[in-house]
Amino acid sequence: MAHSKLGFNEKRQTFWGWILISPLCLGLTLWVAFPMGLSFFTSLAKWDMLSKAQFVGFKNYISIFTEDELFLKSIRNTLYFTFLSVPLQMITALAGALLLNSQVKGKRVFRTIFYLPSLIPLVVSSVMWLWLFNNQYGLINYFLHSFGINRIQWIDSKEMVIPSLTIMNVWNIGNVIIIFLAGLQGIPNDLMEAVDIDGGTYWHKFRYVMLPLLSPIILYNMIVNMIKCLQLFVEPYIMTNGGPVNSSLSFVLHIYNNAFKYGKMGTANAMAWVLFILTMGISLLIFKTSTLWTYYEGDK
Amino acid sequence: MKSKFFVFICIFVLISSGFCFANGQKETSADQVTLKYIYWGSPAEDAAVKQALSDFEAANPTIKVEPMYLPGDLDGSTYNAKMKALAVSNTLPDVGYFRPEEFGNYAENDYFLKLDDLMARDGMGESYLSQTWLKIKGNTYGAYTAAECQVMWYNKKVLEEAGIPIPPTDYKNAWTWDEFVSVLKKITVDSKGKHPGDATFNAKDIVRYGVSYDLWSAMYYPSVWSNGGDIIGADGKTVYIDKPETIEAFQNLADLMNVHHVMPRMSGGTNISPLTMLANNQLGFYVTGQWTLLDLGGMKDFDYGVAALPIMKKPAQIYVSGVNVVFKATKHPEEAWALQKWMMDPSKTLDLYTSGLWMPTKKSYYTDEKDLAKWLNNDVHPQGFKEAVVDSMAVAINEPIKIRNINQIWGDYLNAAVESIWIGEKTAKEALTEVAEKVRKSGLLQGSY
Repeated sequence: MAHSKLGFNEKRQTFWGWILISPLCLGLTLWVAFPMGLSFFTSLAKWDMLSKAQFVGFKNYISIFTEDELFLKSIRNTLYFTFLSVPLQMITALAGALLLNSQVKGKRVFRTIFYLPSLIPLVVSSVMWLWLFNNQYGLINYFLHSFGINRIQWIDSKEMVIPSLTIMNVWNIGNVIIIFLAGLQGIPNDLMEAVDIDGGTYWHKFRYVMLPLLSPIILYNMIVNMIKCLQLFVEPYIMTNGGPVNSSLSFVLHIYNNAFKYGKMGTANAMAWVLFILTMGISLLIFKTSTLWTYYEGDK
Repeated sequence: MKSKFFVFICIFVLISSGFCFANGQKETSADQVTLKYIYWGSPAEDAAVKQALSDFEAANPTIKVEPMYLPGDLDGSTYNAKMKALAVSNTLPDVGYFRPEEFGNYAENDYFLKLDDLMARDGMGESYLSQTWLKIKGNTYGAYTAAECQVMWYNKKVLEEAGIPIPPTDYKNAWTWDEFVSVLKKITVDSKGKHPGDATFNAKDIVRYGVSYDLWSAMYYPSVWSNGGDIIGADGKTVYIDKPETIEAFQNLADLMNVHHVMPRMSGGTNISPLTMLANNQLGFYVTGQWTLLDLGGMKDFDYGVAALPIMKKPAQIYVSGVNVVFKATKHPEEAWALQKWMMDPSKTLDLYTSGLWMPTKKSYYTDEKDLAKWLNNDVHPQGFKEAVVDSMAVAINEPIKIRNINQIWGDYLNAAVESIWIGEKTAKEALTEVAEKVRKSGLLQGSY
């Protein structure tokens, strides 16, 4: 296509347009496209980062599915964590947001309390929860014990370790609450008044006004949290190192171990691509089904 | 217009690479050399190493040393990750600690300076313990940072209260395993004052435990060896983890937690540091690495002692340590070697030894009474340390670090199997027979470096 059709002004505009977005383009190329390409290439190679890479084709992909039993186990652990965490987080956060949106006394104090955990770096809160969960001297077991309840092996037992990490994750929902709260406050008051006039209760307001109008925000929070949960790493890395008996070995921790502990960069990259596809698949699934339950104002 | 865009990109790249160049050429004066020294450890170790480095600077005015400290993690994965990133980006330091399990791999890939000629020139080889030097295919590429091993500390007050006599310190005549367990039962007590074995003893409400063992790979070996077992042969091909002697040793350790209830259950990093428990009178004995003496020595008003490791069948000990290497990428091999020598010479860095962090690698500090007194006679090293620890080095075997893939064999297979024994899910026999087969089939047994 001939591009001499553009007038001088338009040419100048295009030029400056390119100049202004070039840092972004450069950044995307250097920090996103290039690493992704490199990661894909190394996923086809046997490479320990020290000696030369050897091209092996799709062998890494095949071997993680056929030879590595921890791979499937780590996926199972991660999915278990995600499916336990996301709904619990959604419900708790929504309840928290409703509380903050109502005329409750000491609202500001609650706001601070709910948001505070989000300000603590994950590594720090992990260490803190490590102490809380300690089965002998931890605060939680201390309370249970003083009520005559036997101590629970929180992160020391295979059954409890993922639920324990979930509890910790639910505690850390300040950001989700804030987004829900913003959504709730965006709901026009006249709709609420209409329910009042019709003699509806708070439940009616919630069920027929708030929930439909919040549905796009629920969708957003759900997807963002799902992706976060699938990338679970810091908590098991700091708190359990994947134990006991690999029952908290998350997918990303397994990738990390392969890359940096065992020097299997190729395998790790292949796993990272599997995670990418898995995340995309679940996101798409949620998006596709979301048309059934989300409501956008102005939509038909 | 396309070309203009291209020119712009070129300029941008040139400018940014210019910054990189400018950063790389900081060293200006010709006679001043800057070395980077990398290491891990507890905050106390950090302070001790920094002191040694600045002493080195004082003695060598033309050399500056930049410390690169990484806080210690038990399995070294953070340190390894950092090292790999440095290696890939060509920014390795000059000298420093190195994780032993990665030593063979890096040596084989030519990342370390070969030390044989320098050692011969300076007459270094002979005067150090032979185990100190680490060779790959006949060439020396590194040295153990120190001689370190497994020790058993105890809390004097707790033992007195439980009516336990002073434990033996002669490593050859230590308690047998049964004697040890019976002592531990006397120390362990629940909140109602009952001991394990008493009719109403409540194992869920223990306020003081007999012992805590550090549960990570290097710390299993002395028990396993003491019982006549092994884990993987030094050839890197034979699996001994399902040998009856090995199984029995692991079962003995697990029984401390699950049968006798004299040791707190633990996995990962979930418990309060046993060192704290020991100092808080919540623990009688603590079996751990000798380097914890540095932190122990720093605790005020705490009366601790050292005992010989209990014997299953014969006395055993492990020689374990970080490695010290000179990286091949260094631009100043002579100065780097001088720093390495300094860090290995107890007469220059005596603090590191008197504080309890390290034990010397130089022979005379074991054989010569005067040299021995220099590092052992102080408030930090408890009485009996020589018989229980120093002398036990006579039977010490090096941690098998030259086995290929040893890190992954532990990570993918052995750790989980051993954990399932600790939590009482499987017996040692079940877990270890099962995992031995898996390891044999894993394709990871590829010999040794």
